[in-house]
Amino acid sequence: MQFKPTRTFTHLLSSAAVAALVPLAAQAQDTKTITSWDLRSDTATAGIVRDAMDRFEEANPGYVVEASHFANDAYKTKLKIAFGANEPPCVFASWGGGPLKEYVDSDQVADLTPYLDANPEFKDRFVPASFGPVTFNDKIYGLPAENTAVAVIFYNTEIFDELDLTPPETWDELMNVITVLNENNIAPFALANKNKWPGSMYFVLLADRIGGPEAFRKAAAREDGGSFEDPVFIEAGERLQELVEANAFARGYNGLDYDVGGSRRLLYADRAAMELMGSWEMASIRNENPAFAEKVDFFTFPSVPDGKGDPSNVIGTLGDNYVSISSACPYKDKAFELLTYLTNDDAAAARLADQRVMPLKGITTEDPFLNKVLDVVGEAGSVQLWYDQELPPALGEVHKDTVQQLFGMSITPEEAAAEMEQAAQAEAQQ
Amino acid sequence: MLPVMFSAVPENTAEKGNTMSTAITRTAADRQRQRKKWVMAQKAAPFVFMAPAVLFLAVYLLYPLVSSFRLSFVNWNGLGDTAEFVGLDNWVRLLHDSVFWHSAWNNILLALFSIIIQLPIALVLAVVLDEASKGSRILKILYFIPLLMSSVALGVLFKNIYDPNFGPINSILDSMGLYSWAHDWLGDPRYALGSVIAVVLWQNIPFYMVLFLAGLASFPREITEAARLDGATQTTIFWRLKLPHLQGTFRTAVLLATIGSMRYFDLIYVMTEGGPENASQVMASYMYKQVFASFELGYGTTVAAAMFIIITVIAAVAFRLSKRFETEV
Repeated sequence: MQFKPTRTFTHLLSSAAVAALVPLAAQAQDTKTITSWDLRSDTATAGIVRDAMDRFEEANPGYVVEASHFANDAYKTKLKIAFGANEPPCVFASWGGGPLKEYVDSDQVADLTPYLDANPEFKDRFVPASFGPVTFNDKIYGLPAENTAVAVIFYNTEIFDELDLTPPETWDELMNVITVLNENNIAPFALANKNKWPGSMYFVLLADRIGGPEAFRKAAAREDGGSFEDPVFIEAGERLQELVEANAFARGYNGLDYDVGGSRRLLYADRAAMELMGSWEMASIRNENPAFAEKVDFFTFPSVPDGKGDPSNVIGTLGDNYVSISSACPYKDKAFELLTYLTNDDAAAARLADQRVMPLKGITTEDPFLNKVLDVVGEAGSVQLWYDQELPPALGEVHKDTVQQLFGMSITPEEAAAEMEQAAQAEAQQ
Repeated sequence: MLPVMFSAVPENTAEKGNTMSTAITRTAADRQRQRKKWVMAQKAAPFVFMAPAVLFLAVYLLYPLVSSFRLSFVNWNGLGDTAEFVGLDNWVRLLHDSVFWHSAWNNILLALFSIIIQLPIALVLAVVLDEASKGSRILKILYFIPLLMSSVALGVLFKNIYDPNFGPINSILDSMGLYSWAHDWLGDPRYALGSVIAVVLWQNIPFYMVLFLAGLASFPREITEAARLDGATQTTIFWRLKLPHLQGTFRTAVLLATIGSMRYFDLIYVMTEGGPENASQVMASYMYKQVFASFELGYGTTVAAAMFIIITVIAAVAFRLSKRFETEV
């Protein structure tokens, strides 16, 4: 049978089509949606962001902020796909450094310098150094939004007291702590190195203690004869393997997953006594195990014999996460206004209550832990960004891979350094 | 479809016209024209029928395939208009990339273990369940569960089971005093691949079990009865009757297991991300790492293209071999 569209049917069809279009059109006219992606995957911190967005929405009728939160590693992938598919979010979080530079170099990120120049009081609230990881060619591409995060060694004060240990200040003292803990069947360090960046922190700190931040800066920038085969990096590898040989890490360290709390579990169960981690770890511990948080304190990474680096130097980030605007965003002015809501004093106060300190000038807190973090940052000779975030992504991967291999004792420090240098040369040629 | 219908309608009227003596010549010419039309339609029909499928394949298979080969000749971070043509550089790099070849070897290991361990277990389960017929319903469902679970959930579950400090495996070994047996299952390069492969096999056994059950369902009961009357034991019936009957199914299973293993990704990514030190890296996870962690879309695509070539070759060889096997039995 042949099908003949009847008049009624055509009417029905067209009215259905129109009906389907109407709500779309209405929505487009009434509300403008600003999408925002970040890594605030736990409810407490996501709530702080949402509150700031609500305040923005209230002040800007007609604008709706659609926020999505992702887990760390998934986020990096998701962001990359979205930009690659030309459907990036309007506002997005990053750590600045090498990966953000990839996006900037591809003209995917909006330059925030004009907005900041127009609002000098707003800009001057931030600690100037905090703009370092988001400044490329003298232009600023992001605002420090979350935290002042530096790598410190958290330790279980109860275990230390019981065994009569004190926080080590030198390498030898650290090795002694490791020996004593092992004798008492407690693993010295909890490390979840499946993710590779937690292990990288040891290497970065060792390199910084041994050769100061200059060695890395020169090697990364390919200036002044800088090289990843510099004795500094080889010694860092040797020291790292010295720790491995001294059984400094809890069993399974190269396979544990940080994202599911693989390292913190060891601390909670008193199976390990220390963990080298970013200072954000305290917020996680307080959320997950408030009773345990009471017995946690931290110290900074000890000095290394004959090290040229200032032992007060820290690695980490002033900002932790930076918020940027994609160049594809249709409402850039409003998106910047949203950024100001995300980083204004209200937002900073809310974060402070959640034990996170935005890098603002003269910020003060009652919390002894946070004050100690602020002191460490304030006294620091330099703040080195995590290598894997500072370096171009491909090189960052080589760095993380070689450090994981160093931890696995399947590569010598010389081999690791050579591989890194070769990759850096290849990267420089591109 | 339409051309056939249209041609059918006028032909009908032409036959009616035939009964009228007034227009014989016209209908004859008409008929010829109609026949020509009909032949044309006959010829066009298959193409029309095939068009949707071909279009679908072209858009979703051929186009991505061609463009991924095209991308393997550029150096590109996947963002914006920054691709740079580098000729065969990526392919040369691939040939010298020991990690890639190691990954490919891991794929082959996975395929071998699938065939050697997974298929026999699935076969035994299927035969036993088929024998037990009544009352085996619940068992069938139970055995099928691993396949129904999402790979990500399964991966997280096994990550906890393998946990070197808190996981049940090591806890049991430790409590039995077998400290030297308690290994770092996912973090030690010596065990990581084996640990992950075990889970992959475990998850996929039910699939092949169902495949074999379906094969056994078509095995005529009378033959079993006749064999029993002739004094054949269960073992004889299995080896001499059921197994030969299943050879076609077995061939399919081997092919599926091989191809599936060569392009495997999910559990490996969830459990180890190919680590530690690339010990459990497979081609697909390596491609993922290149594209999404290193921002090397060009090189990652080269890995994908090489994967396509390798899988095609292996599948073709496996197909050939299985054909030969068929004629021998």
